[in-house]
Amino acid sequence: MLLTVIVFLPLAGLVAIALLPRDSRGAKWLAASVMGVDLALVAWVAAHFDVARGMQFAIDVPWVSQAHIRYHMAVDGISLTMLGLSALLGLLAVIASWKQEDRPKAYFAMLLLLQVGMNGVFVALDFVLFYVFWELVLVPMFFLIGLWGGPKREYAAIKFFLYTLLGSVFMLVGILALYLHPAGGTFDMLALAKAGASGALPFGFQWWVFLAFFLGFAVKVPVWPLHTWLPDAHVEAPTAASVLLAGVLLKMGAYGFIRVSLPMLPDAARAWAPFIGVLAVISIVYGAAVAFAQTDLKKLVAYSSVSHMGFVMLGIAAGTVEGLDGAVAVMFSHGIVTGMLFLLVGMVYERTHTRAIADLSGLVVAAPLTGGLLAFASFASLGLPGLSGFVGEFLSLLGGWRSALLPKWITIGAASGVLLAAAYMLWMVLRVVLGKPSAATEGMSDASPRELAVLAPLIALTFAVGLYWDSILRFVDPAVKAISVVVTGAA
Amino acid sequence: MNWLVAIPLLPAAAFAVLWPLSRRARNRLQWLPLAAMSGSLALSMAAGVAVVRAAAVESSRGAVVYHAAVEVARIAGRPLRMGLRLDAVSAVMLMVVTVVGVAVQVYSLGYMHRDDRKGWYFAVLSLFSAAMLALVLADSFLLLYMTWEVMGLCSYLLIGFWHELEAPRLAAIKAFLTTRVGDVAFAIGLAVMWATKGSFDFAVVLADGAAWPTGAAWPAGAATAVALLFLVGAMGKSAQVPLHVWLPDAMAGPTPASALIHAATMVAAGVYLVARSMPIFHAAAPVALGAVLAVGLVTLLVGGALAVVQHDIKKVLAYSTISQLGYMFVALGAGSEVAALFHLTTHAFFKSLLFLGAGVIIHATHTQDIREMGGLHKALPWTTAAFTAGALALAGVFPFSGFWSKDEILGTLWRGGQYLPFAIALFGAAITAFYVARLWFRVFGWNQACSLARESHAEMIAPMVVLALITLGIGFASPWFATLLGEEARLPDPGLAAASTAVALAGLAAGWYVYGRSEARGTEPLRRRWNRAYEALGNKLYFDLTFGELLITPYIALTGRLSRFDTSVIDGAVDGMGAGWRRLADSGARFDIAVIDGAVNGAGRLVKAAGARLRRIQTGRVQTYQRLSIAALIVLVLWIFLRGV
Amino acid sequence: MTVGLGPFLALAAVLFCIGLYGALSKKSAVMVLMSLELMTNAVNINLVALSRFRDPVGMTGQFFAAFVMVVAAAEIGLGLALVLALYRRTRTIELDRLDRLKG
Repeated sequence: MLLTVIVFLPLAGLVAIALLPRDSRGAKWLAASVMGVDLALVAWVAAHFDVARGMQFAIDVPWVSQAHIRYHMAVDGISLTMLGLSALLGLLAVIASWKQEDRPKAYFAMLLLLQVGMNGVFVALDFVLFYVFWELVLVPMFFLIGLWGGPKREYAAIKFFLYTLLGSVFMLVGILALYLHPAGGTFDMLALAKAGASGALPFGFQWWVFLAFFLGFAVKVPVWPLHTWLPDAHVEAPTAASVLLAGVLLKMGAYGFIRVSLPMLPDAARAWAPFIGVLAVISIVYGAAVAFAQTDLKKLVAYSSVSHMGFVMLGIAAGTVEGLDGAVAVMFSHGIVTGMLFLLVGMVYERTHTRAIADLSGLVVAAPLTGGLLAFASFASLGLPGLSGFVGEFLSLLGGWRSALLPKWITIGAASGVLLAAAYMLWMVLRVVLGKPSAATEGMSDASPRELAVLAPLIALTFAVGLYWDSILRFVDPAVKAISVVVTGAA
Repeated sequence: MNWLVAIPLLPAAAFAVLWPLSRRARNRLQWLPLAAMSGSLALSMAAGVAVVRAAAVESSRGAVVYHAAVEVARIAGRPLRMGLRLDAVSAVMLMVVTVVGVAVQVYSLGYMHRDDRKGWYFAVLSLFSAAMLALVLADSFLLLYMTWEVMGLCSYLLIGFWHELEAPRLAAIKAFLTTRVGDVAFAIGLAVMWATKGSFDFAVVLADGAAWPTGAAWPAGAATAVALLFLVGAMGKSAQVPLHVWLPDAMAGPTPASALIHAATMVAAGVYLVARSMPIFHAAAPVALGAVLAVGLVTLLVGGALAVVQHDIKKVLAYSTISQLGYMFVALGAGSEVAALFHLTTHAFFKSLLFLGAGVIIHATHTQDIREMGGLHKALPWTTAAFTAGALALAGVFPFSGFWSKDEILGTLWRGGQYLPFAIALFGAAITAFYVARLWFRVFGWNQACSLARESHAEMIAPMVVLALITLGIGFASPWFATLLGEEARLPDPGLAAASTAVALAGLAAGWYVYGRSEARGTEPLRRRWNRAYEALGNKLYFDLTFGELLITPYIALTGRLSRFDTSVIDGAVDGMGAGWRRLADSGARFDIAVIDGAVNGAGRLVKAAGARLRRIQTGRVQTYQRLSIAALIVLVLWIFLRGV
Repeated sequence: MTVGLGPFLALAAVLFCIGLYGALSKKSAVMVLMSLELMTNAVNINLVALSRFRDPVGMTGQFFAAFVMVVAAAEIGLGLALVLALYRRTRTIELDRLDRLKG
């Protein structure tokens, strides 16, 4: 029941916003308070979560009984981590958009609708419900990019929508295939996972269904070469949408792999692992290389996401506990660190009206807080130990090396990504943050208290996760272990 | 002894306090890091006392005195711990780091007092000390790796401290990336270690009970892999050829920071890493140890040779550091961690002394070019005395500390029967003495200009004096040092000592002959004679050029090409699919309008035409309809009658 | 003297034809309604006569006729109301002029 509230509370907020008078300034207050309550509820769930048990806070009632569709929600450690990320970034996105003057009612309504979808995906345990939330996310994001985006917003919004919709159609095929197969025959994800673990699904069938799900999830992650919607969407999206896009939406794809592909189709996952591993390495190295060459700050961060998500895919392909721990840790860390980067880039853009790296320089001199925090976020992003980025990438590498499914060169190639990440990040820092202020940055104002308040929780989490790994791994590890056992046959 | 945790935590806390503050508040609190560091120094001394007490008992010599760990995570239910662990090696390293650290902090008060970002400087210095102290106290390779990288960050921040100039910016990124090449190898090594042993704890992977170090049962393949990967990591951090290129450039940072980080402590972390993982190297012998030895020998020669031709006083010292680190690797390759650690210790003191002296000289003369210096002994008496002590230690002259530790290394090689390495190391000692003489005579010799130079503040002189005294005295502790680390105490072999002293003196004499005599004013004849060699050395033996041409330029070109590939090919394919679909849709639309819609419209038109005719019946008059109905009824009835039912 | 079924049916047929003629030819809506009433009553006569002669016990036709009378009364009431309303709107009750539904 609590999960229902968490998922649908933003919907209630949306209705309330719709009822506000046209020029009301109350939309942001309403949105912020709804998101705040949502986050508090998630925190309550986390506090009362028993890491030793699997799925908790379950609600499971018939929904469309003719088709055996149920309203089934619950959280395990993986879901909870993602739910927390989504709730936190949702709140911060609202506060970061405080100065939204253009159609604020619709804007905050869209953020709230987006929140419903994001929260829902991570707790749904019925495929139909899952699919509904999955697609629900597209609509508000389409409008956020398409209505409040940059100059090429229509192109980016349509590209984003069609590309991911195309992917999810394949996912739908996979869902229906599982439903129609005699050994599946249900939309219940837990039951399907049980069927997958018991080996009831024949390998050939699994292989094809895995491919269908792969296409659906890989677009969302995104895995090379299905990534090109991401830079366009990011560059055109408003800051808050970028934060949520990189912070939460990309995680939905990786979450799908962990929740669906691995436990339900373990035999196929083993067969596909080397292929995914290769794509992961290409994503890591290619994303890092292309990020290095970018001239637009936001595009650089977007390509860095491709690179980082490669580490997630490496951990998933490995299938070992370390790998999956690492994957979820990277997902979480990438959410907060990239969120921080996008917020900072947005702040810089707001003040200088440019994102061209060539035009920006000496940020730390002109605006010490902004510049310093951009450098901090860059170091967090390149995986400095003690900060959150390191935990996941390191565990992914450990898992990749230990995995019997992946050849060793894949892990070695992925490790080089650590170096390449430092290269593009520090090269950016060198040009943007350091040096003498350029004409664009000269005299720019520094971060406001509101902006610092948005960044502060992210900074704190970056440290907390980086220094005390158990802060998220205590939730993730037991949940991940069960999946790893199914895939690799051993813990 | 839980107070041990305060040793790294004090400076870390100082950083944590200063970091969020404004620039002005930071500057006002610049004493805070020094206070923290002094606290760490005091606690380190206490730790040293505890270790010495323990070592007094024969059986517990070299044992772990203290160990405590916390669990940071459980991976697959297996605990991942990080903690602190004190043994003799750690205690020695603690003393080195804290003493040099405090000296540098005190010195910096004078050196940086005009800089308007000095608060930040002190904060980073503090964070660096915290990381280094945590590194030497680490009880697992994981924590060691983490602190290792944090030091990389501090090094980056300090090299790039004056980032508004271009050279420090570039040097900073170069240092970080070059050492990160090693870190990648280190990380893969950790992955191999995890896959083999399932732990990073020293207690597990080194299998050291009482005696440190003892060989543990490692599978040879895994041990070789781990050892070589760790070696590459250590080469990055400790500036071994070919990953040494960052260290000379790192001199773009403030001089005291160079003294602490790029001479005395951090660069020694690689040596410490190899020394710590010695059991693994032994398990991987002879490949791994041979590799360490080879790397060390090449490095000591390359570093020494390059030090000879540098004109920047700091770069001379930087290459000399590379060379001396090579000596430590040679000792490790010969299997003697004690010799390596002892040289590390003595080198830390005398090299930081030399750097601090160089700082005073740079302050006094406003130049770093030794060709523009000279005759400074009159203006800077204290500095001259201290610098000379350091220089003699570096050259390996009795009784200064360098003599003892270098002798130890040479002795190890000799006793191990490794005569070729011995010869190379001895030759390296000659080169060392030569460039030391060159440096000394260039800076202090001749009665040249620079009369404006004045001695610096007391807070800059005092640390140098302390370090000079340590340099003078610590050599005599050599036997005690060996005992403390659990090896047999040994005094230098007289024959060996004579040989090395002779070599050092020869080198110094040669230096004097070229640079010191009043009639020797130029090196032009020498340069002309060894033109090719000089050119090669002047180009830093082409290492930077090679990396630039073979790695960096191609990589940048590649990124540009990949970026274009991304937009034109991959994204082009996506857009192309979109465009293709649209064309298909367009032609579909045309077909739709012409054929399908045409059929529909045709049907509609037919109905319309029929309707136009039929509407005539629709008169709107009720009685017409009635008549029609009746007529129809009659026809129907007639039809039924005629057909029969 | 007994009268057979035939005269009743003949009467009904005559009445029906008169009604039909009126319904088809009269111009006034009121006259058409009256003609309709004639036709209904012709049918009633048929029903009663056939019931009386063919099924004397059942009385079905009589009941049916009673129902038809009631419905016819209602029908005529409704019809007259419509005519009245029509008159109010169009000021005429001539059916030939009420041809707005012409196609």
